[in-house]
Amino acid sequence: MSDIALEAPMTKRPAVRRSPFMRKAFPYFLLAPTMIYLLLITLWPGIYAVYRSLYTGKFKLEWYGLNNYRELIMDNAFWVSLWNTLFLGSITLFVEAVIAMALAALVYRSGWARGWRIVFTLPMLFMPSAVSYLWKLLFNDGRVIADLVRRAGFDYGNIDWMSTAFSARFVLVVADVWQWTPFLFIIFVAGLQGQDKEVEEAARLDGASWTRIFFNISLPMMKPVIAIGLVLRGVDILNNMAAVNIITQGTPGGATETLSYFIYRTAFRSFEQGYASAASVLVLIVTIILAQTLVRRFFKSGTEA
Amino acid sequence: MKKRFETSPWGSAVLWLWAAVCLLPIIFFATIALRPRNEIIAPQPIYFPTISMETWAKIFAEWPILSYFKNSLIAVSGSVFICLLLGVPAAYALARYTFKGREDIGFYILSTKMMAPAAVAIPIFVLFGQLKMLDTVWALMVVYAAMNLSIVVWIIRSYMVDIPHEIEDAARTDGASDLRIMWEIIIPMCLPGIITAAVIAAIFAMNEYLFTLIIASKNAYPLSVALANFSGGSDGIIYNAIALISFLAFFPVLLLVVSIQNHLSRGLTMGAVKG
Repeated sequence: MSDIALEAPMTKRPAVRRSPFMRKAFPYFLLAPTMIYLLLITLWPGIYAVYRSLYTGKFKLEWYGLNNYRELIMDNAFWVSLWNTLFLGSITLFVEAVIAMALAALVYRSGWARGWRIVFTLPMLFMPSAVSYLWKLLFNDGRVIADLVRRAGFDYGNIDWMSTAFSARFVLVVADVWQWTPFLFIIFVAGLQGQDKEVEEAARLDGASWTRIFFNISLPMMKPVIAIGLVLRGVDILNNMAAVNIITQGTPGGATETLSYFIYRTAFRSFEQGYASAASVLVLIVTIILAQTLVRRFFKSGTEA
Repeated sequence: MKKRFETSPWGSAVLWLWAAVCLLPIIFFATIALRPRNEIIAPQPIYFPTISMETWAKIFAEWPILSYFKNSLIAVSGSVFICLLLGVPAAYALARYTFKGREDIGFYILSTKMMAPAAVAIPIFVLFGQLKMLDTVWALMVVYAAMNLSIVVWIIRSYMVDIPHEIEDAARTDGASDLRIMWEIIIPMCLPGIITAAVIAAIFAMNEYLFTLIIASKNAYPLSVALANFSGGSDGIIYNAIALISFLAFFPVLLLVVSIQNHLSRGLTMGAVKG
């Protein structure tokens, strides 16, 4: 490390003298552009959403007070979309985490770890919109999945996957699991590889089975890594809307409509921006609270380094 | 000694199975890009289609594919440039100085990553409407940069924290100014971190869907939303064009990811998990 410092062209100069004020203010100057940019793009939308949620009308705005909120709370579609977001989101996250952890446990000590990692990462490298069309084709338009099921000996005919709530939700979960399991897999492999190998070896020499080593030693040590992976993936799942917009558009009867899609549909399809803004404000309040607690809790160790 | 599960035949069977799950849809998608339309939506799926490059020529002739690609390129690279320009000094301040409010500022920056895009979609739409910037690549650039700034700052910060303080102190006694230390010592030493941050930001920008959908409507279509062009018309969904564009976006991303593969886990977790 030190020879890099020596190589750096550093002609001797008298020490720069700066006022105590400048010295104190310097880091703030460095941060100012980022802070201004982020405040503009987060604070302003928040304020505008609150303002807009108090008005109604598509082109001419009319004062509406808290009526948008009152209607929203009475709106069944809103609650259904909230439930779908949480329900579908937690199932998806759970399935992804289990598969990713199993694969990571199988791969992390293998000599081929790098090769497996590249193969398993491939689905993640397509655009989410592209993956949505791929699964729409495989399930519905191309009838590939139904054909494979038939060839495997179960003839259900041509299944219309969008006709029942269960099957439409299933398609969404499959598409997300296929694309995003790699995200958790990469993180878990790194976590497992970063562990102290000696503890494991000691347990192995004592005759512990691989299941005990994995569940009693590796997994508990992985807790912080798992938590970070789940938080990051969870946030992305909650915000996912490309798949809903492309594959199901909320069908059948709103059974696959997520909160993001609900806001998008009311704001940009029905043009009820006041109403959608009220939903936005509620979502913003929840995310601000969640972000503050989650971020501080799980990224704490990072700042202490 | 008992055989480890991961080296047993069962273990490798699981891995090969998942590899097949990953690869088969991709291979199928690749053949979609090469087959004529009547072999995509058929009564029975066709697994071994007639492959022809003519489909490509037709798609390129009918649609402004290259202009979608160009839009993506401008918006994505511009946004990455903005992120680095603003983010590197910010990361430097967070990593190398102690000052009042450092924790709060750092966490505020990180928490913008958690913001739900749908919740700010309307204000963003109205804002760019008033600036007369709807349907321009510039609007996409600004939004992508805002979306990725937090990630870029935190990734680079994590690499800068690792540089020992002695190096900086030595340079400071030699009379180097703070800006010079940042530019000539810290930045070259954490170049892998900066590249990782740039790659991750580029991929996320490339993939962005919701903001792109509301901002771009014709002239500014980048690859991620151009796909929508091929699903609304009287011809139904034109899957071979969609597949072609998907691979057009896939290969550059693959190259970028392979180039940073040892930093991938660190980048994806914003520096929290060091791989």
